[in-house]
Amino acid sequence: MSLRLLHRRLAVLMGHAGLVAFAGGAGFEPLSAVLAALALTLALFWHPDARLSSHMERVWVPIAALLVVRALIHVVFIGDDVVVPVVDLLLLLLAAEALRSLDAPNDIRLYALSFALLLASTAYRPGVLFLVAFVAYVVLSTLALLVGHLRRRAEHHGVRSVPLGSRLIVTVAKLSVIILLISGVVFVTFPRVSRGWAGRGDTPARSIVGFSDQISIGEHGSRIYSNPQVVLRVEFPQGIPEDVLRLRWRGRSYDRFDGIRWTRSSSLPPSSAPRQWYRDRWEGPLLEQRVYGAPLDVRVLFALHPTVGVESDNGIQPLFDNAGDIIYWGRGAPAYTAHSRRDSPEPSALRESESGYRPEARFFLQLPELDERIPALADSLTAGLATRYDKAVAIQRWLRSFRYTLELPATAREATLQHFLFQRRAGHCEYFSTAMVVLLRAAGVEARNVNGFLGGEWNRFGGYLAVTQNQAHSWVEVWFPGYGWVTFDPTPGGAAAEERIASWYWPGRILLDGIQHRWSKWILDYDAELQSGLVRQWAGLLGPMRPTGEPSPEGSRRRGRVLGGALLVLALLIGFRWLRRRPPTLPRETRAYIRLLDTCRRAGLPTPPGLTPLALLERLGLSHARAVNPARRVVDHYLRARYGGEVLGKSELREMSQALTATRRMLRQGSRQVRSGASPEEIER
Amino acid sequence: MTPLIAGPYRRVREVWRRIRGWRRISFTSGGLVFTVGALAIGFAAVNTGNNLLYLLLGGMLGFIAVSGWLSEQAIRGLVVTRRLPRGVTVGQELRIGYTVRSRHRTLPSFAVEIAEGGLPGRAFLPFVPAGGSTRARSLNTFVRRGVYPLEAVTLSTSFPFGLFRKERDLTLPGEIVVWPRSVRPVTALPTVPGEGVAEGLAVPGMLGHRGEYRSLRSYRPGDDPRDIHWRSSARLRDPVVREYERDGSECRWIYLDVRHEPGDAAEAAIEVAAALAARAVAENHPFGLKAGEAVVPRGEGPGHLERVLDLLARVDFSPDASGPDRALAGDGCVLVSVAGVPGFGTQIVVGISSRPEELLPATRGEGAA
Repeated sequence: MSLRLLHRRLAVLMGHAGLVAFAGGAGFEPLSAVLAALALTLALFWHPDARLSSHMERVWVPIAALLVVRALIHVVFIGDDVVVPVVDLLLLLLAAEALRSLDAPNDIRLYALSFALLLASTAYRPGVLFLVAFVAYVVLSTLALLVGHLRRRAEHHGVRSVPLGSRLIVTVAKLSVIILLISGVVFVTFPRVSRGWAGRGDTPARSIVGFSDQISIGEHGSRIYSNPQVVLRVEFPQGIPEDVLRLRWRGRSYDRFDGIRWTRSSSLPPSSAPRQWYRDRWEGPLLEQRVYGAPLDVRVLFALHPTVGVESDNGIQPLFDNAGDIIYWGRGAPAYTAHSRRDSPEPSALRESESGYRPEARFFLQLPELDERIPALADSLTAGLATRYDKAVAIQRWLRSFRYTLELPATAREATLQHFLFQRRAGHCEYFSTAMVVLLRAAGVEARNVNGFLGGEWNRFGGYLAVTQNQAHSWVEVWFPGYGWVTFDPTPGGAAAEERIASWYWPGRILLDGIQHRWSKWILDYDAELQSGLVRQWAGLLGPMRPTGEPSPEGSRRRGRVLGGALLVLALLIGFRWLRRRPPTLPRETRAYIRLLDTCRRAGLPTPPGLTPLALLERLGLSHARAVNPARRVVDHYLRARYGGEVLGKSELREMSQALTATRRMLRQGSRQVRSGASPEEIER
Repeated sequence: MTPLIAGPYRRVREVWRRIRGWRRISFTSGGLVFTVGALAIGFAAVNTGNNLLYLLLGGMLGFIAVSGWLSEQAIRGLVVTRRLPRGVTVGQELRIGYTVRSRHRTLPSFAVEIAEGGLPGRAFLPFVPAGGSTRARSLNTFVRRGVYPLEAVTLSTSFPFGLFRKERDLTLPGEIVVWPRSVRPVTALPTVPGEGVAEGLAVPGMLGHRGEYRSLRSYRPGDDPRDIHWRSSARLRDPVVREYERDGSECRWIYLDVRHEPGDAAEAAIEVAAALAARAVAENHPFGLKAGEAVVPRGEGPGHLERVLDLLARVDFSPDASGPDRALAGDGCVLVSVAGVPGFGTQIVVGISSRPEELLPATRGEGAA
């Protein structure tokens, strides 16, 4: 393969890598992406001659002009995201350059266009596919730049071929590993001073199945299908909770029920308990959750209930709304840290909390027009029970005797609460939670419906809890004066797990999701905090410090171990170099004579090839008579050893070395005198 | 410059020359764009906090680092040997040959260029195998005769990516002798039989091929290898040739009058003298040359012409130089002069036209050119 062809193919493959990188970030208009990929693939195998190439340019130019006009219309009239039309233009130019004749000097343009694609993709939050494309791009560009440079220089000097063996290509490709390593080091160590990049164009995941901003029991005629899209990835810095797969990730609460659908009242007054209640009166330690969320069509943050604090990690602005739900401002996928109380108050404490502040009854005791059997049912279930806690437990226990199913009712008539309670006695979580809230409200207890996720899958590869849309769930919160909203879940336990639909590709997806999570956490969301954490971690290797700043004994020992290890590595490296050192190819006396030759040459004495040692002395005598005597000692020893077969002893070698030094000194003095304009007689003296 | 300053100044220049001789690095146009681009991406990364830009920045810095390391490897560990011709004529291409040996054990060198200080031509080595050697040559053309000293060769490369150009000087003394042109149309030299025309210039007999043995002398480039006396060469460890004497040799002398300002006219006079010498050699006539105080004794053959051209390459014109000895004037001597010497005898006076390429020898007296 000629250098030109090899270079063109490498440059075109760089374009492929740029294409993949952009696809990993923003996606493409399918038509332009497919056409560009086809054109680039064609350019790998087919190249037009110069004449056809110039004809094809006449086609490219008007198309490019049209795309420029389209991009301008996007900016001026539509106000839409301009990146995609600009990328279409880039793709066209890339295809046009790739399909030019091999003689066209368009190396730089090909490099620039593929790099522009790579650069454009960084404006988004590309997935781990970007990393694959980036690695490929670095390897390919290492080779392409090298081959292109060799090609240009060879053509400049009229050299027809450069022997580029496949082994060399592989060796050079290995150099890209060094580039990637440097890239990694720069990435990790470059000081971060600004908040993370939110990314543009993040498409909210509109959940057809799973979490949504409403709870409804009206759907019928089908069943709920699987949606394994991961929406939350949660890490527990303080350790994994024992019941990690049974945690409820609370999102939205709903106060208004119209008989079919739950909504939020627009004029809802502050109705959440003071966070001080949760912090002081609830049980258990604060549990820290570091949550990486997918962008949803609902701007809500998920955390365990009750949340006492939440901090953003990537520039979003979280805040508690009137219902106590956590919403946020900002763009991109949210990443945040939440702190929640772990355990609910004791039942005895809840039984005693009957008096105190209650949220407004018009919101949390609101009921639509109900089947008359429902209030009667509520009365019968709570008859004789004095406390709201006992009433809630009784209703919950009764509902848990029902059957959980993802099968929806067959008709609209059956998709009602009364049908669920009195005929079907089976349904999904929204029927259970709705039923419990309605029964509680009918019994005079303030309650609300809550939407979120239950459980998740523990990702061992990533060390986090992956929560998917399949884990979307509804439950109930009941108000207890002095304690706030307490969680109850009437959905039969275990039934949900049995019915949960697991996709066949889930094991592989766990691995991929782990990689994606690490990519997001360590690359996309790498910030000053993570960087300082890394520094602390490395500093921790050197052992803890005392509060006074003095090193502790443990620290000293660890420092000693680290230092010893570093010295050992250094010694191994030096030893390796020493073992691989170049063996002395010449004996010492020969090297001394060569140094004498070098010395004479530096002093301006011509030493043509083939100059014999005696002739050297003769020439030296003509120009630097004083230097002849020490030089003769060097030459004598050299001749004796070289041609006489003598083995020189240490003293003789030392004498050679001293004579060489003396020769150097005298030649230097002579040269200095020549420069200062001394006469030959003076130099001789 | 006073000696008080000149000494340290010279020393500082010398040190600086040595430092510069180690390594020099400069941007190529592509490298400049690349570096400015890397800075721009770094600036954007810091301002936006976009981590992928840091990744790109790291990659670009990686390219710069690898470029610096590989270019260093490409020009380090190379041993250069230069092959120079005896001389080159003005206007003709000089081919300087280089043998480059790599002392690397694993990494070959690519795209290395070799240049001589002050000469535009470069030799290009597309590939030097690790531990092996390769040859290359550079082509240069000279427009003035003279002796051009060579001090060092410069190894340079922009390998591997063409982003930066790295250079390194290797001390390699030598010289190029640029002979004057010898193609001007001139008439044949007047000849006289037997000895020379003037005292002090004549020798008992002319050198000749396979004539009477005269003596041994050191080998000079251009000598017929058949004349090497091997036994004496072995004894003296230096090639020695026999000299022969040819009886009844004809005798020609070219006298170059160097009393003139250096310039185009002087160069034209030198070229006329060279052309006379070339014609004499072509016609197999022995001749000698005297230029100012310098003398090339009579001889013949290509080797003799080279010696004459060597002298002409080194001749300096000066108005204060000594004039030609009128005693030399005679039938066997042609004076080549810019201003002319009245009454000298056969002489060629070189005139100068408005255009240097139209320089033509004018004639005066009995000579013709």
